[in-house]
Amino acid sequence: MSNSDCVGPDKPLAIVATQGSKRRIVAINDIARDRGVMPGHRLTDARAIVPDLVTVAADHEADAAALVTLSHWAQRFTPSTAVSPPSGLWLDITGCTRLWRGEQPLLESLMHQLERRGIPCQAAIADTFGAAWAFAREAGCYTIVPPGAHRKRLSDLPLKALRLEPETLADLRRLGLKTIGEVMALPRAALANRFEDVLPRLDQTLGNAPEAIAFVQPPTPWFESLTFADFLMTPEDLQRALAALARKLCRRLSEAGRGGKRFEAGFFGADNTVQRIAIATSLATHDARGITQLLAARLERIDPGFGIEVITLRASRIAPLHERQIAMDQEQGNLATTAPLIDKLGNRLGFNNVWRFAMAQSHWPERAVTQAAPLARPSHRVWENGAARPIRLLSRPEPIEATAFLPDRPPVQFRWRRVLRRVRRAEGPERIAPEWWRDEENAPQAIRDYYCVEDESGARFWLYREGLYQNGAPPPRWFIHGFLA
Amino acid sequence: MTDPVYAELQTTTNFCFLRGASHPHELVLRAAELSLSAIGVTDRNSLAGIVRAHLAAREMELRLVVGCRLDFRDGAPSLLCYPTDRAAYGRLCRLLTEGKRRAKKGECLLDYQDLIDFGEGQIVVALAPGEITADFQRSLARVKADFPGRAYLGLSRRFAHDDAKRIHRLASLGERLKLPLLATNDVLYHSPERRRLQDVLTCIRHTCTIDEAGFRLNANAERHLKSPAEMARLFSDYPQALDNSLEIARRCTFSLEELRYEYPEEITPNGEAPQDRLVRLTWEGAGRRYPEGLPPQVREQLEKELHLIGKLDYASFFLTVHDIVQYAESKKILHQGRGSAANSAVCYVLGITGVDPALGNTLFERFISTSRGEPPDIDVDFEHEKRELVIQHIYTRYGRHRAGMTATVICYRTRGAIRDVGKALGLSPDITAALAGSVWGWSVDGIDPRALKENGLDPADRRLRLAIELSSALIGFPRHLSQHPGGFIITRGRLDELCPIENAAMDDRTMIAWDKDDIESMRMLKIDVLALGMLTAIAKAFALMREHKDETYDLGSIPKEDAKVYEMLSRADSIGVFQVESRAQQSMLPRLKPKCFYDLVIEVAIVRPGPIQGDMVHPYLRRRAELEKPDYLSDALKPILEKTLGVPLFQEQCMKIAITGAGFTPARADELRRAMATFKRVGTIHHFREEFITGMIRHGVQPEFAERCYKQLEGFGSYGFPESHAASFALLVYVSAWIKCHHPDVFCCALLNSQPMGFYAPAQLVRDAREHGVAVRPIDVNHSQWDHTLERLDDERHALRLGFRLVAGLRQGEVEKLIEARRQPFSSPAELMHRAGLNRSTMQVLAQADCFGSMGIDRRQALWSVMGLEENPLPLLAGLATLASPALLPTMADSQSVAEDYTAVGLSLKRHPMAFLRSDLQRKGLITAETLRTMPNGRRVTIAGLVLFRQRPATASGTIFVTLEDETGSANLIIWPSIAEKFRKAVFAGKLLACVGTLQREGQVIHVIAKSLHDWSSAINRLQEGAERFALRFGRGDEVSSGSGDDGRRPRDAAMLVKLKSRDFR
Repeated sequence: MSNSDCVGPDKPLAIVATQGSKRRIVAINDIARDRGVMPGHRLTDARAIVPDLVTVAADHEADAAALVTLSHWAQRFTPSTAVSPPSGLWLDITGCTRLWRGEQPLLESLMHQLERRGIPCQAAIADTFGAAWAFAREAGCYTIVPPGAHRKRLSDLPLKALRLEPETLADLRRLGLKTIGEVMALPRAALANRFEDVLPRLDQTLGNAPEAIAFVQPPTPWFESLTFADFLMTPEDLQRALAALARKLCRRLSEAGRGGKRFEAGFFGADNTVQRIAIATSLATHDARGITQLLAARLERIDPGFGIEVITLRASRIAPLHERQIAMDQEQGNLATTAPLIDKLGNRLGFNNVWRFAMAQSHWPERAVTQAAPLARPSHRVWENGAARPIRLLSRPEPIEATAFLPDRPPVQFRWRRVLRRVRRAEGPERIAPEWWRDEENAPQAIRDYYCVEDESGARFWLYREGLYQNGAPPPRWFIHGFLA
Repeated sequence: MTDPVYAELQTTTNFCFLRGASHPHELVLRAAELSLSAIGVTDRNSLAGIVRAHLAAREMELRLVVGCRLDFRDGAPSLLCYPTDRAAYGRLCRLLTEGKRRAKKGECLLDYQDLIDFGEGQIVVALAPGEITADFQRSLARVKADFPGRAYLGLSRRFAHDDAKRIHRLASLGERLKLPLLATNDVLYHSPERRRLQDVLTCIRHTCTIDEAGFRLNANAERHLKSPAEMARLFSDYPQALDNSLEIARRCTFSLEELRYEYPEEITPNGEAPQDRLVRLTWEGAGRRYPEGLPPQVREQLEKELHLIGKLDYASFFLTVHDIVQYAESKKILHQGRGSAANSAVCYVLGITGVDPALGNTLFERFISTSRGEPPDIDVDFEHEKRELVIQHIYTRYGRHRAGMTATVICYRTRGAIRDVGKALGLSPDITAALAGSVWGWSVDGIDPRALKENGLDPADRRLRLAIELSSALIGFPRHLSQHPGGFIITRGRLDELCPIENAAMDDRTMIAWDKDDIESMRMLKIDVLALGMLTAIAKAFALMREHKDETYDLGSIPKEDAKVYEMLSRADSIGVFQVESRAQQSMLPRLKPKCFYDLVIEVAIVRPGPIQGDMVHPYLRRRAELEKPDYLSDALKPILEKTLGVPLFQEQCMKIAITGAGFTPARADELRRAMATFKRVGTIHHFREEFITGMIRHGVQPEFAERCYKQLEGFGSYGFPESHAASFALLVYVSAWIKCHHPDVFCCALLNSQPMGFYAPAQLVRDAREHGVAVRPIDVNHSQWDHTLERLDDERHALRLGFRLVAGLRQGEVEKLIEARRQPFSSPAELMHRAGLNRSTMQVLAQADCFGSMGIDRRQALWSVMGLEENPLPLLAGLATLASPALLPTMADSQSVAEDYTAVGLSLKRHPMAFLRSDLQRKGLITAETLRTMPNGRRVTIAGLVLFRQRPATASGTIFVTLEDETGSANLIIWPSIAEKFRKAVFAGKLLACVGTLQREGQVIHVIAKSLHDWSSAINRLQEGAERFALRFGRGDEVSSGSGDDGRRPRDAAMLVKLKSRDFR
């Protein structure tokens, strides 16, 4: 039902965060902006203005993660990148500009590439981190401040470019101070006396005080590669190479007490093509043999062409492994033996096609069973509502002819597959009404009265009558739906 | 063969919140339709629903067996419990009270032992748990032993596969223990269609969606009321179980009719008979009210009333009210009674009301009618700040076991219903929010399916349709009990034997489990102890007049029928005046031109949904302006309609028309009134309609008029406004208008000191006072008190000094320290801080509120020096910080200063914010509100102002009324629905609106019919940011198109916008 995952570009969209008891807009798309919604609006107000506003809950963790990803991406410009939450990046481009033949081409290339990825941005290059921060945010689309010029040009920027606490900012504004220049003109002692953070920030921005930025290191990649002087041509060679890579990678994983759940092999051909195969496992693993086997099963898809020059193997979805628990926990023990089978089936048939039955809470018999992931913990106790349920349920109920007293007595006899059976014992009815809230077109409409019956031979059946005997209504029909123990 | 007979004794109503899926009356109606012999209502640990069931049963002439289902916390099996007589009922009430008092609100914790303690006279029916355990069998034996001859075992068909087995086991268990069986259907709803709603309620109760609910839902729709024949079929093997339902119904003779009200003894302290005491107090009071001697017609009236009171035995009631009022009198708490009995001569001389019976000379006749067999109705309003004292007095005087506050049943309205149902059906919060958002205010009309399309939702979506359908069924369902704001019930005996008492949400408050209206319908006495802000203001005004002007008044002694007062009101000069200050009233005043007290009574009553829906306003105004002759339709109706020129305006008149004009009995007329109020959503109402209209026509009234009368009745049903209430309100209108007219300074000061109350914010009240020549002085650390005060100017005049209470974020305790230390004036912020021992944040708040004017320091300088102050400096250094020169700070633009004033105190004495935009506006061809008054009718005008109010009255079918304010006055816009929709954003969210429209003039009343609207709120930001820089950035731009403000980022400091929040009435 959620409409948030199918937002077209033509819909007004807002990201909403809960602040205290209120839900406020934190970000919007252009359409929403054009129609008058602004960040900071309360959701209820925004809805009054744009009733068809589509909203998505803010996910700060995802935002932060995305910013980190972006900082990794930006390492193509300089190794030293850092995040400046909530939405900024620092790049220390000292010594890097020569690769780009100047600051301006670097900046333009950066912005161009970001915009191509759908990320609108503002940027600035300046002598200090603080000054770059200020110009990027308050001086327009992009700015390059020549060395030594920032002091003068900072004066005109508004105070919020100083990275001050909101309270400080509000206080300064109350004093009528609006620009950095006005604050720079005040006596330093008087400022220090009144505000803790103004002078340090001012000095950092001007370059009179150092500022330490925590630049992120690139993460250790679980990655191996092999280059071959003689191009590989045969599947056997490829498989041996994979095995070697897997051993190397798995040794490192094992040393770190980790396993991967996804492994991707890349085959770089002599003709500059890249082919990839990937396998997934249901449990994190560093079992080199298993991984090689699973990968090898897919090797047939690789066309060596003129030969393979480089093979890479990368593990992702890394998770810690708890090796010792496998033997101690009965269930986990079973998992350990079934998991390889499931992996084999899953990699061949697709993991969506490997599942097991689970019980579901529904009175409607067809819906009391559902599919579960093959290794999901079975949920117990779900059916314990005392209802009688057959040991085998026919996937499609079969019509029968039955004789019963009106209106809701159990049948005295019934004919199923041409065999007439006399009912010796019966229980019921158990009346089950359809699930009225179900949306499907062909959702059942009629009430069912279920009976457990036993015929003269002692066989037990689960029968039902669809519908009630009512004047004017078509006579109800009878069905067999299962067999009881 | 005789027809089977059966009484259903186990039903759950929707007063068992989120469990029962039918109203009590629906169950009763259905039971009557099915010819059940009786119906027993058994909500869980609650008797909340039985009054409504009783009223319905009384109407349907069906026997109601009062009872409840008891769930125990100690694992004992649940029981149905039916009291056999009044005494047993009292014990059941006490049992429930016990359980409820030890639990938190809405819960009840009972042990089986509690039942034993209060078990005498109760018939109990044990209910089997899901699985019949050995434990249950043991408990059953115990119940049998504890309730010899009064215990039964309940049997229900659940339509589970093992029903027959289970019932057989229970039956044999009953046989073994010699426990008779009782067949029930454990009813949750009156008809099977309600299964869906019941499923949804279950989901709401478990906070899950319908797809997750699983086995928490019932498998089928069988738990509805069934006919005796069907029950006989289902229990054909156990006929005795059916017969026993009749036996229990026979044995339980108790009926709610037996709850007779007994007045507390305290009211007659010396054993004097109530009537004697009332007569004595009346004549004593008459002596006080008429020191110059009792006018003969008043004497006659008093005698007549006392005779009537004696005949109907209502003396105790008047004494009870008198007793409470007496206390208020002794504590000098201003009060005013209203209600049908309040405007009697007796109440006037007893001091219960200040309405002089001689003024509304035709009011007496409606005083308690002999035919209405219910206690007279008096509500008493008290000063809102002191009402708690009166409440505590009642508790101490009568004790908590005898005095209690009534509950009020909070019911689902459209928004809550769609929100809860939507959640239960698994709609995304977005969609439910959008649907709820399409509803204006407190609607109970359900979601309009058209709202789906407007919100871009698919009307064919089945879940959505289900949500809309089920949510409208849920509307009107009780959701929880809440404490009524002032309904009190006081008894002679134990209150907890009348009705269970439970904890209210507020500490130290308890309430009885019945709704105020239900108590009234039970013909029990209740007194409404209400809070009224205007009484506080009037009391404060009286005190100020005593103190500063040496004039002493009370509600009764204000000079009567002062022509200047009526003149002022006729000009619609009524800001701050009780009841008639709203925009609708303001546009009515110049048309009605009140000349005497009774005109005020009409003024108060006419601007109400009743007369408006009944289309009575215009005929009345035409006749009053003598454009049309009064038409009384028939001689019989003339006496009823004479004083309102043939147009029924009051509830009483409508009742009387029903009696005289349509031939209703008084009791039937009263039923009609009740039906309008409580049974609105049920089918019975159209019987009344037919009866009423055919009755009217039979009595020679035009069908069209009959139709209009009926429509008005419908309006009264939901918003009844009787003449007696109007008269009491009219007195407060007159008194407050008199004070405003003669003492505008006192009036404004008193109103400001009683905030929050009334229609207008302090800014408008102060502005109005200044327009009436009152000098208003700013808040100042050297002059202001917490409250606003009057400062003497000369012999005649006083200036209003604003008080610290206006300053947002200032604590009263800090202000007290300041005033304590202010023996001589403070000369600097530092001195103030150290002498008064204020903390720095207080000093900052004072500086922001610009409270240092008497030191010659403006806001910025004050802030600068305050920021430099140390909280606990070394004595030598104290005050040094102030030496730092503030000269470097930029000077503040006037516009910004005004903006800061609004931010800190919500108003500015300097200039109106709009004044700063004027030259710009003028260039654009916009006119002021003042110029509007000189424009001819039909002229196209463009006007802009701050939004004061937005209203969308339920009676105006979507039309929105907006009031704009500029530096010269205010302008009233009328926005038709189509225009409102088109300019939705501006209409709903604009703080500063520009409007192009057509001027419409009707006498003194001027409206602008809006054609287009534009949100210029961003202009306010410019004021606040201090104009210079922003003028450069935006000055030449067109605000209309720059709706998104500056570069897309909202200014972070939006304090002024917040302060400028309009009051939106829905």
